Amino acid sequence: MTATADLKEFIAAYLVEAEEHLAVANAQLLAVESAQRKGDTNPRAVRETFRSLHTIKGLSAMVGVEPVVAIAHRMETFLRDFDRSGAPLPLPAIDALLKGVRGIEQRVAALGRGDGAAMPSDELLAALDSLGFAAVSTAPPAAPLDLEPALLGKLAPFEIEQLIRGINAGKRALRAEFTPSPARAAEGMTINSVRERMAAVAEIVRVLPRAVPVSPGAPGGLCFVLLLLTSSTDQAIAEAVGIDVDTLHRLHREVEAPILAERGNVSPEMATSELEEDFSDAQSRRGVVRVEVSRLDEAMEGLSSLIVTRFRLARAVAALNKRGINTRELSEIMVDNARQLRDLRAAIVRVRMVPVGELLERVPLLVRGLRRATNRAVRLELEGGTAELDKSVSERLFPVIVHLVRNAVDHAIESPDERERRGKPEEGLLRITCGARSNTRLEITVTDDGRGIDRAAVARKAGRNTPNDNAGLLDLLCIPGLSTRDIVTTTSGRGMGMEIVKRTIVDELGGELEVSSELGKGTTFTLRVPLTISIVDAFSFECGEQRFVVPVAMVDEIIEVDSECLAQVPAQEDGGPTVDIISRRGVAVPMLQLAQIFRLAAAEKYGRKAIVVRRAGAPIAFAVDRMLGQQEVVIRPINDVLVRAPGISGATDLGDGRPTLVLDLVALSTSLNVRTGASRAQP
Amino acid sequence: MTDILVVDDSKVMRDMIIACLRAIPETSFVHASSGLEAIERLSLATFDMMVLDLNMPDIGGVEVLEFVRGQDTLRSLPVMIVTTRGDEQSRERVLQAGATSFLAKPFTPDAIIAEVRAILGGRAESVA
Repeated sequence: MTATADLKEFIAAYLVEAEEHLAVANAQLLAVESAQRKGDTNPRAVRETFRSLHTIKGLSAMVGVEPVVAIAHRMETFLRDFDRSGAPLPLPAIDALLKGVRGIEQRVAALGRGDGAAMPSDELLAALDSLGFAAVSTAPPAAPLDLEPALLGKLAPFEIEQLIRGINAGKRALRAEFTPSPARAAEGMTINSVRERMAAVAEIVRVLPRAVPVSPGAPGGLCFVLLLLTSSTDQAIAEAVGIDVDTLHRLHREVEAPILAERGNVSPEMATSELEEDFSDAQSRRGVVRVEVSRLDEAMEGLSSLIVTRFRLARAVAALNKRGINTRELSEIMVDNARQLRDLRAAIVRVRMVPVGELLERVPLLVRGLRRATNRAVRLELEGGTAELDKSVSERLFPVIVHLVRNAVDHAIESPDERERRGKPEEGLLRITCGARSNTRLEITVTDDGRGIDRAAVARKAGRNTPNDNAGLLDLLCIPGLSTRDIVTTTSGRGMGMEIVKRTIVDELGGELEVSSELGKGTTFTLRVPLTISIVDAFSFECGEQRFVVPVAMVDEIIEVDSECLAQVPAQEDGGPTVDIISRRGVAVPMLQLAQIFRLAAAEKYGRKAIVVRRAGAPIAFAVDRMLGQQEVVIRPINDVLVRAPGISGATDLGDGRPTLVLDLVALSTSLNVRTGASRAQP
Repeated sequence: MTDILVVDDSKVMRDMIIACLRAIPETSFVHASSGLEAIERLSLATFDMMVLDLNMPDIGGVEVLEFVRGQDTLRSLPVMIVTTRGDEQSRERVLQAGATSFLAKPFTPDAIIAEVRAILGGRAESVA
């Protein structure tokens, strides 16, 4: 008796894989469009799109998601003919295809939320049905390649063209051979690993199997022929891949003139544009196991309790020590245990990390849609880098980026006419950079060269005074409900306002948000967020007989409070807390008494240490009684509205079983409305 | 023990195929995520049959099939093609290229089990 498999159980895995294929389809369709706008074709991208939709259709049929099958089938049928002929896709068809992808995305998302997938609208199906085949077949170019006909005959025309273009661009076209054997497989050398290593030193155009006589060197009677384009030397390739240098052969005879002279406008970079690069190597997903985020959370939770237990252990050892018991051996074990916990933590954190590129991969599509809806000419520059961030941070960050991009295209970048009048290039520039700023923080900037924010106008709308700096401007922009929209447009007015951006970045993620804007020139939003959340390095300290912790990443410096360096400033008119001024290396820094803010009984008038943080670049100090130490803490968010207060980002357990508050001193200073900056400073 | 090589670039699809075929006792499965990997595995180990997808990156199922049929050692390996293209023309094409049988997606667990049992003949029947 065997139970019959229930394919519905695969729906979660199906959704993940479908999302991957949708991302590929979007990126590849955009790559096709961008090539064709330059008068070029990109048959490889057409093929990848076709393959993705074909796979989506097959998987959807298996798990019984008929609405997706209906959409994917139409798109696949249309694309197949173009894939076969290598002809350019008609531009209007790309539009319809992107709509189809969107339609599938919506249904996949609905299934992910636990809703059903709605049948596609007749309108969408009609648009896809009306895509007729109008491809003109193109003859393959004559190939001056040194390749036996049996192999040459297996290459698609676009692959031959790719080789020729590479040669014209000054690259070397090579053929490499890899002969698999059980001995090599045992050493981890398989066609998969060879491809992976080869991809680092060369562009792989095609890999073909070739039957060879069975011999001791080729026990399987098989060898793989890899056709490559590269700028590396034979020696470098052989070393990187671990193959014999004799297995490399040049594919082309010496050529003096470019072979495709009539296509001189084709730049070699085109074939490897940024978008394609990310997706061209479908092999990069090999060896990947998909895990539900909730399972990782469980592992993290388990680790959290381990860390709390370790604190208890450390306290117990310290207590023994106090009683004069020799704890040397125990302490050594504690040191090892600490290192192992750190390693384990790093390992779990690594598993949760996703590349920032993933965060930005949908931005080109978004901009494309906005460009159409607003009739703005916008050029997008993306700089993703190789940083990685926690999946949960990435998920929270994405809607924020969408909002900032939408605002930039919709409100900031002027219409082409207006730009011309102002002497700006007709095409607006939207630039997004994303990079790790340290081991713990990610910095994202969203910059436009549009009209800039008119501070006076924003202030008038908000009924406030015109701010004289960027921090003041940001405060204004983040007033709930404030809209700076002059005209109602089709793209904005949905989604979230700046106040939600701020809440996400500052309150939820413990990050920073800055704006800098110059009227007539443009605006930059800078976001700094922690790469990971939940476990952080923190300073613990005492103040008014209470213990608190503050994340190390937030602290600029810890300084001694020397009463010689203090000057008191009259209490603020609005009843805010007393602000002292402390001189730090000759610079006046406003200082608050934490005990006073939390109404705690302070041991002395002035705390003996001060923790300096930066708010929008300006330092602000908080006086505390005593620093206790630095350790890793597990931050648990406080969700109870009765306990939640500005400046408190969560609670932790230092091992004594008592909850300890985790402070966000930057947010605290903001909520107290303390003005920073040197303007009020008295030496 | 019956060794089956399951070739599909989609991990979900491989997992689904194997979940269905687990109902056949005394079978073990090896995954291959591309046509090239399939050819490599076939050249290095012996399998009792292959379940092969048609549409894959690098080289497609038909190319794998053509290569397999051109190799003396693999000429008689039973190959079941599993594909989303269920039309008669595609069926003709893959049977001509040397496929032993042809199964269109979507299929039910019972359908694929029946196909595989038919291919493996008395062997699977007797242990079942």
